[in-house]
Amino acid sequence: MQGIKRSLWIGILSLGVLAGLLTAYKVFTTGLVVYAKTNILVWTMPLASYVFFSLTSSGLAFVSSIPIVFGIKRYGPIEKRTIFLEISVLIAAFVCLVLHLGSPLSAIYFLLSPNPASPLWWLGILYGIYLVILVTTFWRMHTAVHSKALGVFVFLIGIATSTMLGWLFGHPDGRPAFNAPYLTMYFPLTALASGLAAVSLVGSLGCHFACDTMSEDRATLYEDIAKLFGIVIAITLLFFLWRSVTGGVSATALQFGGFRRMLHSRSHHIALWLGFIVPLLLMALRSVRSTTWGKATASSLFLIGMFAERLGFLLSGEVMPMGPMAEGQPQFVSYAPTIWEVFVPTSALSVMLLLYTLGEWYLNLEGPVNK
Amino acid sequence: MAQYAMVIDLQRCVGCGACSVACKNENNLTEGILWSNKITKTEGTFPYVRYHYLPTLCNHCENAPCVTGCPTKAMHKLKNGITMHDPNKCIGCRYCMFNCPYGVIYFNWEKAQKFWEDDEAVIKGCTASPKEQTQKVGGGAFPYYNPEREETLDGIRRAGVVEKCTFCDHRVKKGKLPYCVEACPADARIFGDLDDPNSKVSFLIGKYHQFRLKEDLGTEPKVYYIRSFSHTHYQSTKGGI
Repeated sequence: MQGIKRSLWIGILSLGVLAGLLTAYKVFTTGLVVYAKTNILVWTMPLASYVFFSLTSSGLAFVSSIPIVFGIKRYGPIEKRTIFLEISVLIAAFVCLVLHLGSPLSAIYFLLSPNPASPLWWLGILYGIYLVILVTTFWRMHTAVHSKALGVFVFLIGIATSTMLGWLFGHPDGRPAFNAPYLTMYFPLTALASGLAAVSLVGSLGCHFACDTMSEDRATLYEDIAKLFGIVIAITLLFFLWRSVTGGVSATALQFGGFRRMLHSRSHHIALWLGFIVPLLLMALRSVRSTTWGKATASSLFLIGMFAERLGFLLSGEVMPMGPMAEGQPQFVSYAPTIWEVFVPTSALSVMLLLYTLGEWYLNLEGPVNK
Repeated sequence: MAQYAMVIDLQRCVGCGACSVACKNENNLTEGILWSNKITKTEGTFPYVRYHYLPTLCNHCENAPCVTGCPTKAMHKLKNGITMHDPNKCIGCRYCMFNCPYGVIYFNWEKAQKFWEDDEAVIKGCTASPKEQTQKVGGGAFPYYNPEREETLDGIRRAGVVEKCTFCDHRVKKGKLPYCVEACPADARIFGDLDDPNSKVSFLIGKYHQFRLKEDLGTEPKVYYIRSFSHTHYQSTKGGI
């Protein structure tokens, strides 16, 4: 029975990976025209998926660093598991990035022709280093040699990448709805919330399906994580609401038109209600918070909401065409993803889950950690 | 080294679009890409209505946000002030399109001019196929292909990279004017060296009240607009309540 379940699970994930391979084939033979993109909507679901996965990975870096950087030792037992999850999520982010870029092979020019004035260059370099550091950290933990320095480095790089992403989006002065100082705080905060959601979801569900019973220590730890998750959702919600008020209600500048428009979009409502309000209520109720399904529901809803938020956030800076691009266009353009765009996050999620599943089966993610 | 700039005289511009057509021919632009474009606006309500026409192109900004943001220096500044793009270094991230406040950078979503590879005649037994037409005139990429564009840039830009106006750098290098300037039947586009106080552009910028697009962003555009066409007049009045 266990064998059939495993085969079915791998079969489903393989289908997702296959969808990604098909998308890659279409993109590299036909061009990015297979996506619902125009010269107005230049960044859509593939990039939103990248932002979602990369920030979740930064959030996991914060969670994995809790025992080392903040000295809260009871988080130690899930450190190795979280690092492995972080690697899987980061690889998923890279899958989205490759399917987003028009000429990914030219990325060699990041090294041959660097531009340190560009936030994108820093981000590319940092993510490259990040993956190497993560794999090294995991390998050292796996061989029972724990490095405090590497742990601290993972935390610092998590801060650097999530804040750098704020600089990247806040860079264009022509799109003031993307406020750089705001985003450099909002991104790490939402990253932390996403990281906690991912740990909570994978940890509680993983144990539900794979273990017979959860140890009392572990159950208390996930209870702690759920509490922290609830607090972080509340703070993130405040940021989200204030951004909606300042950018969408009180701002009068023309350039905020796209942002105001997106406040009435489906993605905004999904983010607000499914992503913030419902999980916050679930985590506020102790009777729900202490159950596996309660944690899993709140975490899944938050992650779905965050995905919608990342997409809505990107579109808010683009739906109002500017300059000559507005010729012959309505005041706001609409966006509906093509099937190939939907395949991008689907395949990235499949790659992530496949890697994590293989890690769960063949590596000891509960391995001993020498402090 | 010269610092090139363009002045567009809106009193002379009739909005014929010859600049856009000339640009497409000179630079082998594919469908949907317009390095030389326009912003049109209709203002007022009937019977007092006015139509505005503003030609646009890359502003070759001194502080170009597209250049600052490009991670691989594919988008770069030449010593003569022209903002140039190297498709070989371009990773197709489109960050320059995101950074440009003027909306003048385009992306090749698919293979450019691919319709000319079509083997099927529009009317069977009557017309030639696009491919045959191309072969009849010498086998270039398409019948009106301009090989001179290859001198400084790919003749046709490949799929997956951005492209934009280069002030016809391949012509400027040979002492010729950008082709949109050459083709303008009303002489509404004036091109020259901003560092030369005796150049026509320096003269016009000094003589007329000029404006540039989104100057408040501090990008220091090198495309200046002067004057405004108006054939109307009105009787002097202080209005009334």
